Amino acid sequence: MLNPLRSEQEAFRFLLYVVVVAAVVLGIVFAARALT
Amino acid sequence: MEAATAHADHHGPPAANVSSRVEAQFLGMLLFIISEVMLFGAFFTAYFFIRVVADSGWFPIDGVDLPKAIAGVNTAILVSSSFTMHWALEGARNENRNALRVGLLTTALLGLSFLTIQVNEYVHIGFAPSDNAQSTIFYGLTGLHGAHVFVGLTLLTFATVRAFRGHFTAKEHRGVEVPGIYWHFVDVMWIVVYSSVYLL
Repeated sequence: MLNPLRSEQEAFRFLLYVVVVAAVVLGIVFAARALT
Repeated sequence: MEAATAHADHHGPPAANVSSRVEAQFLGMLLFIISEVMLFGAFFTAYFFIRVVADSGWFPIDGVDLPKAIAGVNTAILVSSSFTMHWALEGARNENRNALRVGLLTTALLGLSFLTIQVNEYVHIGFAPSDNAQSTIFYGLTGLHGAHVFVGLTLLTFATVRAFRGHFTAKEHRGVEVPGIYWHFVDVMWIVVYSSVYLL
């Protein structure tokens, strides 16, 4: 299991996940705003 | 008899328990980051509360909007600095001293650029913390994060100076790894702050 506090490598991987998740969430919100 | 002698020779409090699974430096940073998550959580609670209850809504207020593009460039700078941080640590792991030094120095310079741009943003943004609840929480959240960048920069400065003095090896590089974990945490928090405060 990913533990971002265990090592720098896992913290970096967690950061990449956060970037992707944030991009997806923002995309969904902007798409929903454009459609409504 | 020997046990009694050993007991009599021991002075002071008993030795602190040391975990065999987590090193003290990592445990300290782990507990610190957990407390930091709670601190940011308190600020985000205030932010979402204000967004829900404020009659005037979120920005723009009175024609003044948040500088999304500049903050976007700043976000790119901070995310880049995490890549250079990771590169520096990979350098330490592979005994590549140049990668370690250049990576740490670049990370510190990118962090300094982020902080400089943020201060410049405050100077030109056009509203003060005392103007309204929205501006208060804007300065509160971004300022809290800026303070963390400053702390991270301090840690990075120590690590960079040590790297240029020849410290750190492939086996012993906690002095880079622990600030690295903190730096990534600061970066993660900024992505959340930028997404929610500037973009949403």
